[in-house]
Amino acid sequence: MNIIAAAIAIWGVIPSAIGEAWVCSRAIDGISRNPEAAKTLRSSMILACALVETTAIYSLLVSILCIFLG
Amino acid sequence: MFDNFFKFEITAEIMSSLIVMGIIIILSIVIGIMAHFHDPLKKPKGLLFLAEIGVEFFDNFTKDLIGTKLSGFGGFIMAIAVYLFLSFIFGLTGLPSPTTNMAVPLSLGLISFFAIHLTSIRYTKWRYFKRYVEPFPVFLPINLLSMWAPLLSLTLRLFGNALSGYVLMNIVYYSLESLSTMIFGNFIPGDWSGIFIAPLIAPILHLYFDLFSALIQTMIFISLTTIFIGQEIPDEDEILSSDVKLIRKGGK
Repeated sequence: MNIIAAAIAIWGVIPSAIGEAWVCSRAIDGISRNPEAAKTLRSSMILACALVETTAIYSLLVSILCIFLG
Repeated sequence: MFDNFFKFEITAEIMSSLIVMGIIIILSIVIGIMAHFHDPLKKPKGLLFLAEIGVEFFDNFTKDLIGTKLSGFGGFIMAIAVYLFLSFIFGLTGLPSPTTNMAVPLSLGLISFFAIHLTSIRYTKWRYFKRYVEPFPVFLPINLLSMWAPLLSLTLRLFGNALSGYVLMNIVYYSLESLSTMIFGNFIPGDWSGIFIAPLIAPILHLYFDLFSALIQTMIFISLTTIFIGQEIPDEDEILSSDVKLIRKGGK
């Protein structure tokens, strides 16, 4: 039962993955339009990616807690 | 890890947190002595040079995000960043990383939470309580709930990242040990057959789960803290426009 709950909880990473793909595609768009801004765009892209990753980390945490505590 | 969740006792993670604090205290004392006896006209060397780069970086960082109003906030941010980074990469020594205990991220989150609200109180005085009844007084319960959102998100982001890295690395070590035992178990007797594959693969994963995530999570934690603090300081334009209104009212 715990394993099923963890498997359901890990579904929360899907929107996060889509959002990260959006962030990266937008950043690449920006770099291809303005290659001089690549440095600042790259650093803010990594920050934004890690921010978007937060929800994925929450669901991973919930599923880990489901396995070990549940 | 979870058995001691609600007990008040010194766990292994708290011990490593104390070790990290000791390292930081010794480093700061050494750098302070070096800076005291250093001739300011000469070029700084070694540790002092690194420390100067760090102080300059964090001063510029807070100046970009907050503005020049709260000068001296860079020290606070630098202390949090150094502690967080060291405690994240402390897992590389083999001892438990302090961030895998819920108490350490929660304390860091509470520090930022209080910093945010105390800054707001300092700048808006009694108007601070107005934020709970905005835009209508009906929103009071919702505002009281959403007050805790930054604390929860800051805490759980750190804890989740550290814990997931720790658990994944443990799974990887366990599976690699079984694989090595399966392959070399026939040739080498005893418990020594499980140590051959893990040293080849684990360092790359440690690079991601410990070093990279430590750097990124530290950056995110301090940027979010400074951005939240910067939000609480009213813009100069707002102050000016309200003053102009007051002056006009007085004039009429």
